[in-house]
Amino acid sequence: MSMLEFTLLMYCYAALIAVLAISLYGLVRRPNILKKIICLSIFGDTANTLIIFLGFRTRNPIPPIVPTLTPTKSLMMEFTRRAVDPVPQCLVLTAIVINMAVLMFLIFLAIQIYRHYGTLDVRKVARLRG
Amino acid sequence: MSYVIVLEVLLAIAFTVAVICTYMVVKERDLVKAVVLSALQSIMYTLAYYLLMAPDIVLAYVAVGVGIYSVVLLFAISKTERFEEVEAR
Amino acid sequence: MRGTELIVVMCTVILIVAVTTAVIMGITAYTPGPEVRPLAKFYLENCLNLWNRAYWAASPEAVCSMLWDYRGIDTLYETTVFFLAIIGGVTVFRLIEVTPPLESLSEKIRRVLGLSVIVRTISKIVASIILIVAVAIAAHGHLTPGGGFQAGAAISVAPLMIIIALSRYFLEERKLTKERMLALRTVGLLTIWCTVIIPLIFALVGQVVYAMQNQAKPWTTFPGFPTGQLSTWIAGSLFIYNMAEFVAVGAGFTLLFLLLSLPEEVFREFMRRLTRK
Repeated sequence: MSMLEFTLLMYCYAALIAVLAISLYGLVRRPNILKKIICLSIFGDTANTLIIFLGFRTRNPIPPIVPTLTPTKSLMMEFTRRAVDPVPQCLVLTAIVINMAVLMFLIFLAIQIYRHYGTLDVRKVARLRG
Repeated sequence: MSYVIVLEVLLAIAFTVAVICTYMVVKERDLVKAVVLSALQSIMYTLAYYLLMAPDIVLAYVAVGVGIYSVVLLFAISKTERFEEVEAR
Repeated sequence: MRGTELIVVMCTVILIVAVTTAVIMGITAYTPGPEVRPLAKFYLENCLNLWNRAYWAASPEAVCSMLWDYRGIDTLYETTVFFLAIIGGVTVFRLIEVTPPLESLSEKIRRVLGLSVIVRTISKIVASIILIVAVAIAAHGHLTPGGGFQAGAAISVAPLMIIIALSRYFLEERKLTKERMLALRTVGLLTIWCTVIIPLIFALVGQVVYAMQNQAKPWTTFPGFPTGQLSTWIAGSLFIYNMAEFVAVGAGFTLLFLLLSLPEEVFREFMRRLTRK
């Protein structure tokens, strides 16, 4: 691996972790509940991206799908030599859809909070009673 | 040297735009603009998944992250309030 | 503004910490390299291994074969979590039992339901195209990129678009109500569970099987699900799981959209009536 490639990969790492940090800051610091939910979704997606990023392969990568149903032995060997890691992709695929359903549940709860309290600001919700 | 270097340069660009979008999402007080920016960030992640050789994730994420999620949040904003309040304690 | 400055300073500090962490991680931990792990090698070699069928999943797509065969139990319970999340959403909106008839709505709401004729027509065309594409993604999930989860996410864009452009009454007229969506989603999940239970029935008879086993193995007596002919390859149980998951995810998301698209005025009216009683 050349120095340029290594630098680029390190830069991607740094950018992803920066997104994690910024969205975590927004999650903790912003008072609006919907803003918190947006930041939470960005946080989750970044974690998923980080997992897929670790499964990348830097030598002539191809997607982990055999192009034919009747492969020859040499084709399968080349496939195994070049395809990227399918394990993280399998884990993330379910995580994305489940994450979506859970976040929609959170949005429903936020709407319900607004109906009962008339505000989405956590500071005001904390002050109100019943 | 192969096409991998091109992939990595594009990846770096996509992640840079994602960082900028996230920063603007956190800073933005108008929630509708924040949702649009987070959709832009989702597009950047979709591009990144494509470059990382994950076509399955692209198919799932482009529908969920860009389509469903933005529209559901806009629904929620239309039901509640649009602007984040600046209130001193 | 003091608040904005504070955010900028905080973000700069966070960025510096992030870069140092990334460099330290890059030096010490695993980074994307020229080789993958041995576990991934095993899956890549065996997903369509025509010469040694002991571990094969009969599917050229490594991700799908892992999702529903090698790591099938994981996906099964993920689906259960999805089920619970949707049940939670329905429970939050439990008070509204029936959709209000169109006539009972006030004039103001009725006017904003639906957009202009051009938007309506285009939305109908695009929604039907989305339906076809989603079914294709689900049915080819074991051969090409795609599968149950992706197709379910894709198809739920269609009702979302129809609700925005044509209002939810368009869906209700076509009998796509909340209750039916709930029933459809339960049918999808039941299909998945029944397919999971088929090998266990063989176990009760006294055969040697694995839970969620797809293809036959030399040391088990379970005959395996049929893989189909070369022109109609269904890859054993993967096709059934994909289609069932497609129905479950699509119906579940549509259910949530139907709940979300109730006008707020209807809910207030309902609450007022409830408190008066």
